[in-house]
Amino acid sequence: MQTPGQYAALLLAANLFPLISAAAQDAPAVQQATGVERARIQELIKVATQEGELDYLDTVIQPETNDTLAAAFRQRYGLPANFKVNYTLLTPGNLITRLEQEIRSKRLTADVAAVGSPVWVAEEARQRAIMAYDSPEYANYSKSFQLGLGNKGYFAFNGAYIFVAMWNTENLKFKGTSWRDVVGAVPPGRFSYGDCSKSDSALGTYMGLRKVLDKGFFESLAKLKPIFLYKSELFASRLVTGEDLMTGMGLPGRAYQANQKGATLEFLVPSEGVVLIPQSLFILQGAPHPASSKLWLDFILSDEGQQIIVEREAMISGRDGFKSPLPKYAPSIGNLNAVAMNWNLISMDDLQSARGECSAIFHP
Amino acid sequence: MREASAPQFSIHNCYSISVECLGLRNSQRADCEECEVSTTIEPAALTGDSRLHAWYSSGATITQFLLPILAVATGAFLVAMPIFGTLLRGFMITDADPAAFTASNYVRLFTDPTAGTAAFNTVLAGICVMLFSCIIGCSLAWVVGRTNVPFRKVFGILNLVPFFFSPYVGAMSWLYILAPNGGILQKLSKTYLGHEIPFINIYNVGGVIWVLSLFYAPYIYLFVIGPIRNMDGALEDAGRVHGASFWYTFRHITLPMLLPSILSGMLIVLVTSAGLFDVPLSIAEPHGIKMIPTEIYRASQYPSDFGRAAVLGTIMMLITILISLAQQNYIRGRRFYTVTGKGYRPRPIELGRFGRMLALSTELIFILMSSVLPLSALVMVSLSPIWTGTFRPSFVTLQNYNYVLFHYRITQSAIFNSAYLATVGASISLALGCLQAYFIRRRTSWISHIVEPILSLPLGIPGIIIGLGFLILLIGTPLYATIWIMIVATVAHFFPIALRSIAATLLSLNPELEECARSSGANWFQMMRYILIPLLRPALAATWLLLFVILIRELGASLLLYNQGTETVSVVLVLLSEQNFGYVAALAVTQVVVLITAFFLMQRNGISFLEN
Repeated sequence: MQTPGQYAALLLAANLFPLISAAAQDAPAVQQATGVERARIQELIKVATQEGELDYLDTVIQPETNDTLAAAFRQRYGLPANFKVNYTLLTPGNLITRLEQEIRSKRLTADVAAVGSPVWVAEEARQRAIMAYDSPEYANYSKSFQLGLGNKGYFAFNGAYIFVAMWNTENLKFKGTSWRDVVGAVPPGRFSYGDCSKSDSALGTYMGLRKVLDKGFFESLAKLKPIFLYKSELFASRLVTGEDLMTGMGLPGRAYQANQKGATLEFLVPSEGVVLIPQSLFILQGAPHPASSKLWLDFILSDEGQQIIVEREAMISGRDGFKSPLPKYAPSIGNLNAVAMNWNLISMDDLQSARGECSAIFHP
Repeated sequence: MREASAPQFSIHNCYSISVECLGLRNSQRADCEECEVSTTIEPAALTGDSRLHAWYSSGATITQFLLPILAVATGAFLVAMPIFGTLLRGFMITDADPAAFTASNYVRLFTDPTAGTAAFNTVLAGICVMLFSCIIGCSLAWVVGRTNVPFRKVFGILNLVPFFFSPYVGAMSWLYILAPNGGILQKLSKTYLGHEIPFINIYNVGGVIWVLSLFYAPYIYLFVIGPIRNMDGALEDAGRVHGASFWYTFRHITLPMLLPSILSGMLIVLVTSAGLFDVPLSIAEPHGIKMIPTEIYRASQYPSDFGRAAVLGTIMMLITILISLAQQNYIRGRRFYTVTGKGYRPRPIELGRFGRMLALSTELIFILMSSVLPLSALVMVSLSPIWTGTFRPSFVTLQNYNYVLFHYRITQSAIFNSAYLATVGASISLALGCLQAYFIRRRTSWISHIVEPILSLPLGIPGIIIGLGFLILLIGTPLYATIWIMIVATVAHFFPIALRSIAATLLSLNPELEECARSSGANWFQMMRYILIPLLRPALAATWLLLFVILIRELGASLLLYNQGTETVSVVLVLLSEQNFGYVAALAVTQVVVLITAFFLMQRNGISFLEN
């Protein structure tokens, strides 16, 4: 026999259930979907609501941008206001170190991560450390997959970036058009660069540029006695203070953000071309919140997610037919003179070999 | 059957005797009849096994006996873990399947010329920091403790302000000031003098030495200020009466008397500053200047080389342990009494006008360099929407504070984590240290002679190596990715501070006070509760406060061991430094203000580590 308390609980549950289902049905993502996909999303929303949170690591997206993304994510899937997206911004080295430790110790705390190191991510996918997930959004990234900028079934890129020469127009009048013009533009010690011995983004850029520039060019860069930094924010902020006159690892997105606060950063899209570093977005195998992770990955790759990322971070979207709201800072892939780099054909050994060559130039 | 004897026990008598006796100097103690009585109740000269036997026979239960031993065993385990982990990993290659033992990590390191450069830079920085901070710290202590310079009491407190800065924050603030091109000083020079100052450049080993010397000077100050205040001025007077000059007296009387304190401080500064990685990380590493702690940090990051990190850590650990042992050996072999049995009143040296000006200038310059300038730079950066190297009052904004304190998710949890880690870590360290000190000071067997130096070893091991050791050992355990792995590492690193502090205080408490209680029928817990702990209370409070401040600022181990949700404020400062200078400055200012406010509040309530 049931007690009055149990009756009250049943009554409450009976009243709440339709409300919860209605909320899920009313979610924009559910409304836009049909058939099997609609049922899949409804099921994911149900489980994600129970999970209540998601842990996300990234190396580029600023926490403020993530707040905007999280708010839009909750709205799109009708998730409760207390659903948390625990976000941490790390350097690529820190992020990979953290994930390697968690994967090897089988103590996962992170669900989703994004890092501009597609070779490492592909290797982890081969080691089954990355969850196989065929997001319906992958259908909108067919060109990116063809270019070797993702790995269908495991990861696509949530935004790509390029590293170019950047300077502060208050401190330097630079009119060059080529990477070669950078050499000699500033005195030694006033130039910053990425450390390819530690950063995969810097190494990837080196590998791409080596296809269009000879080794001598990099030896000339080394003669500028570069200051080695690890975060795109630092490259930009040192230009703003005048500490460095130029960087070879400027991220146009950082110029956009700094210029909005009154800085005067300018960058060069060199005639030799640029190397597109895809920020690979993936779910970890054994993620503590798998349903939330799948929804998050779908959302980030959706048109709505891409709009926020490009508007706030000036990253380059890989979504087919995406029209960039910031063509100067984040041009569409089709408008970029990108150096052909099929990341799927590069192995960890290739990476090590390139690291050795680059380190020998910059850290003799 | 042992008598319970609780009804016969009058703890109040023993406590009042103990407090009164402690208040008397040795010369006067003979006049205290009750003290004499208390010493006649039970002989105080028991040693070794006879003392142990007496301890048992006087009513100590197994638990009472085991508690201190358990604390010593825990301490030994905590010391051994990171050492064992680092040593073991240095001889392993984990890429092989199965993992193999090899010396190849050592071979690789010894054939790498950059390792030699890193070692040279580290040793150079460590020695220079030790010397400069010693000169600064001793000068400040002498000015405050022995001279008639005005505002001595205020200076005594202001000298410690840098102690509340995390060294990383100190480095960041000096980067804002002394950066060769975009620094505040350089920009001011360009604006007002019309040219750059060519020698301003913090990005070198000299910059590391400068920042570390400023922030380690208070350590020496803390070591020296007590002995310098208690020093018998009659000894110096005797020298002068016999025609010795000021400098002769200083070199042959004052300095030798202070030598143990100065040496202790210097060696602590040497090993901790050489092992500190956050200052070189921000000042030296971007400019290609290698130092061992930053090499260890980088080797533990992707693409990681834990073998290299472990070998570097092992070598560094061995050097610091040897230095610590040499220091302990040196101190143990000598006796320097600054406090004598004869009645005297420490009195200040009357400086002339020039001397006072010089002393005042020393104080003012130090406070300007160590506190005013760094804090001003941080405040200016924190109030700017984007830092351009120049403060623009018309653009002042509180948005950095607003974001960091109210909108950055990690800050709030980090404040809680830091407070939790510091409170729990300080409490556990204190409990361990207290019991270990009791074991060492109340048992004069050969074991206690060995135990103290062994348990003091972590003080000589850099935090990053302790973090690395625990990471290697505990990565596959449930402790990984929890705040407890950080608590374990920080307790392992800092419990010797509690041990040494409480052991020093216990040394000044005659065991007869405890024996009085025991002979009056108190059991061990009653004796601890009513006699020992009340007598130790000021030292316990001061030590806890010191540990709390140290743990709040701790970064070396935390940066390797933190995980999602377990970030501390110090870790967040590093994370924010990769986003926006303004955010770092806002959080750093908040951290410093909170710590200084807490310090002053406790100071007002009579809790201070100044005199401990």
